[in-house]
Amino acid sequence: MSNLQLTDDQREALQEVTNIGMGQAGAALAALLDTFVTLSVPRIQLVQVAELGKSLRAMVRDAQDVTAVRQSFQSDISGEAIVIYGPEGCKELWDLMGYEPSDEPPGTSTERELLFDVANVLVGACVCSVFELLGRSLSFSRPTLIGEKVPLDYLLQQETLPWGMALLVEVNFSLENRQFTAHLVTLMAEDSIEQMKAALDHFVANL
Amino acid sequence: MALPVLVVDDSPMARKMLIKALPPGWDIEISQAGNGIEALEQYRAGKAAVMFLDLTMPDMDGYEVLAQLRKEDLNTFVIVVSADIQPEAQERVRKLGAIAFVKKPVSADKLVPILKEFGIYE
Repeated sequence: MSNLQLTDDQREALQEVTNIGMGQAGAALAALLDTFVTLSVPRIQLVQVAELGKSLRAMVRDAQDVTAVRQSFQSDISGEAIVIYGPEGCKELWDLMGYEPSDEPPGTSTERELLFDVANVLVGACVCSVFELLGRSLSFSRPTLIGEKVPLDYLLQQETLPWGMALLVEVNFSLENRQFTAHLVTLMAEDSIEQMKAALDHFVANL
Repeated sequence: MALPVLVVDDSPMARKMLIKALPPGWDIEISQAGNGIEALEQYRAGKAAVMFLDLTMPDMDGYEVLAQLRKEDLNTFVIVVSADIQPEAQERVRKLGAIAFVKKPVSADKLVPILKEFGIYE
């Protein structure tokens, strides 16, 4: 069996290129929400898809009520990026945009647009800039909704079957005195993970 | 005499990336620090005529380092090197006395004009 764990160098390199990607996502989000965004260092974790549920349940506070948006990406490294919002994440976004809870019931097109916009910003800036630093340019599909206020387990059953490994990135943004948390999950097949590891090795060797 | 240059970042990989982006042939002596507290210690020990400073760090971030340097004598050229590229971050660090703000990933192309402008590199 191939060794799919990251070496220390690979992990550090991935952490740093993810930090750079998050910085770009933060700037784009700040422009979208018109506020100053405080970035925390994103936590990254590479896990077997079979273990993904356990890792995600440890990060997502209310696993019975999540909303998720996905986008697939393609180059010689391809996969699927999923942004998961907990119930608070959706509420906080709604509030940050200056809407009142009573303005529109959840599940309307305005709320969906917002979830798509934020997912697009996160995936675009983060995944794109990571792979750009690794010398790849990716093409993305349009974001689609894969579940709205559904249990996490349901989501995972639908989405993870064809994939071998998942790269988990926990993204935390605070906005002045408010918090907004979302989770970015990147699913990749084993051969893409191998390609990514080779790209990371190449990156480190050139430093 | 070699110019003492301090590279401050919590990520060893980020420090390597920055050191690689320094212009070739620049006569310098490089020291490194992994957080703000170490950075100030090295600064006080005379290791930082020029300081490349990250903003997001545990144990004293870049903003706090700048504020503390100001309380002392700010006898160093601080160039902030950051993944956080919001205009407000750039404005904040300039107000705190940094001479420049460089977006990660850094390259010699981005650094050389700044170093020349301040007469740090010919």
